[in-house]
Amino acid sequence: MRKAATFRAAFAAALALTLVCYSRSAADTTAVQDIAVVVNPNNAVNNLSLSELSKIYRGERQYWRANLPVVVLFRTPGTYEREVVLRTIFQMSEPQYRQYWVSKIMRAEATSPPAELFSSGMIKEGVAAIPGAIGCVRVSDVRPDMKVLRIDGRLPSEPGYRLH
Amino acid sequence: MATPVTTRRCVLLSLVLLLAIGATAQTANEPSQSELVNALLGRIDKLERRVAELEAGKSPGSTPQPQTPQAEVPPMQTLQTPSTEEVQKRVATQTHEHDEHLPNGAAAEHHFPSLQLRGFADVDFSATDEPGSHSGFNLGQFVLHVASPLSKKVAYFGELSFTAQPTSYTADVERSIIRYDYNDYFKLSFGRYHTPINYWNTEFHHGLWLQTTISRPEMIRFGGRFQPVHFLGMLAEGNIPSGPLGLGYEIGLGNGRAGTISRAGDAGDVNNNRAWVARVIARPTGLRGLQVGGAIYGDEITPTPALSGHPRFSELIESAHIVWTSETPEFLSEFANVHHRDSLTGTVYNSQAYYVQLGYRLPWQQKKWKPYYRFEYMHIPATEPLFSVPDFEVKDLVSSTAGIRYDISDFAALKWEYRHIKRGPTDPIVNAAFVQTSFTF
Repeated sequence: MRKAATFRAAFAAALALTLVCYSRSAADTTAVQDIAVVVNPNNAVNNLSLSELSKIYRGERQYWRANLPVVVLFRTPGTYEREVVLRTIFQMSEPQYRQYWVSKIMRAEATSPPAELFSSGMIKEGVAAIPGAIGCVRVSDVRPDMKVLRIDGRLPSEPGYRLH
Repeated sequence: MATPVTTRRCVLLSLVLLLAIGATAQTANEPSQSELVNALLGRIDKLERRVAELEAGKSPGSTPQPQTPQAEVPPMQTLQTPSTEEVQKRVATQTHEHDEHLPNGAAAEHHFPSLQLRGFADVDFSATDEPGSHSGFNLGQFVLHVASPLSKKVAYFGELSFTAQPTSYTADVERSIIRYDYNDYFKLSFGRYHTPINYWNTEFHHGLWLQTTISRPEMIRFGGRFQPVHFLGMLAEGNIPSGPLGLGYEIGLGNGRAGTISRAGDAGDVNNNRAWVARVIARPTGLRGLQVGGAIYGDEITPTPALSGHPRFSELIESAHIVWTSETPEFLSEFANVHHRDSLTGTVYNSQAYYVQLGYRLPWQQKKWKPYYRFEYMHIPATEPLFSVPDFEVKDLVSSTAGIRYDISDFAALKWEYRHIKRGPTDPIVNAAFVQTSFTF
């Protein structure tokens, strides 16, 4: 009886340990973070609605003002920021996004799709250097030389913020 | 005595179990190439975060304070913290290398000019029961599209087509446009356009892969006479401040139709009257995929060869469209009325055409299949002089097109299509089958 009880206890402990390890691993890989919309600090815009942001990313609004063209900085495929932007702003899959830009350029509405950058550091460099730049980074990647826009009046981490 | 042995066995068993689970997990998570890329991208992010922390830490009195609340940066346990001097040296070297060899964020801005080239092509097979016709393969069109920003506010767009003919290929400049953007509300361009007189003509151009069906509707087909497909002149366009309505406009002035009315006046206007066009569209932001619009076009036509008595004709075209471009379902519908007035007799001719097209992207098999159907109707008065020519054999066209599109890849499609056409009350019904592969590269 005692032998069986010890065996059961050890087995339960091993199973619990395994489950804890797995849950921690899953939590690490699927951590949900808000995505911050960042622009050059000199940009006068402070707030955008989600539909305005969608127009900017879709290339339907191409100027902040007459002398300040919008330059969209996008992450490369396979990144969390891109996945969030495609899902919440474009509402498209990756193939639909690529087809969208082929069609848009063919219609002479744009000359190229948004620039695709390999890291959030490059987004940071772009936003700091290009006056009309706009990009999306994880909230943990926000740096002092970035200006974070309110989306529908909300900042990242605030209740009701939709970019995550 | 048995207890320690049993416990040891249990612990051993547990370890074996853990190892087995771990090994299984490892095998299941064999990294694919995309996972490897993702891991590398994640690594770049972590390293950049670490560099930023170190840079911030070494500057006296400069603690990074982002303008918004941010989540805690996870500690980098896998990196050994180097000395400040070492970091400074590494960052300097990295920055130097970055500038010289690698793309950086600042380089994401356009360089001028920067030519973007894209091609479209198609291969077709057709068979009809029309007397005198032959079934067979056809190369279709080979199209090159170029786009190049020339400065922050000036851009060039061009479209060239090569079309197989019985004895050679014809090359055409389909579009050649230089555009100056003042802002989103005013963009001015000059060149040769697809006339913004309806939806299809300015949406799909010569990229057959872009459109669901194999062919264009008869009312706006290339080489057709019903509406002017091309337009040479200048065009002002932009958004109209309208909030969620998403209004836009286009106003153009140009040469209009040539003496052969299926062609644009590329080499000069045939008379001293400019054609004009105005179009307004609405793309409501709350109904993504919906577009509603209307256009009006005016011109004076001097047909070549001249008709008996050398009449001129004033032309006024009114058109409207409503489309829903979401593919579940896709709905395209257009209507146009072409009004001609003979300058000698004052006789008026009104011709109408419309089409309705429905498509639906099926949810199965990775959404690769899309069946569609289009109904077309065109009415031209029997006495209409400008459309009564041998190469425009339309009087009262009634046509049904049914087909299915299969997307072989993200940029190539295969389409099967059946058409049932009746061109006039006394004409025989023509049945036709088509297969096309169209793609972009």
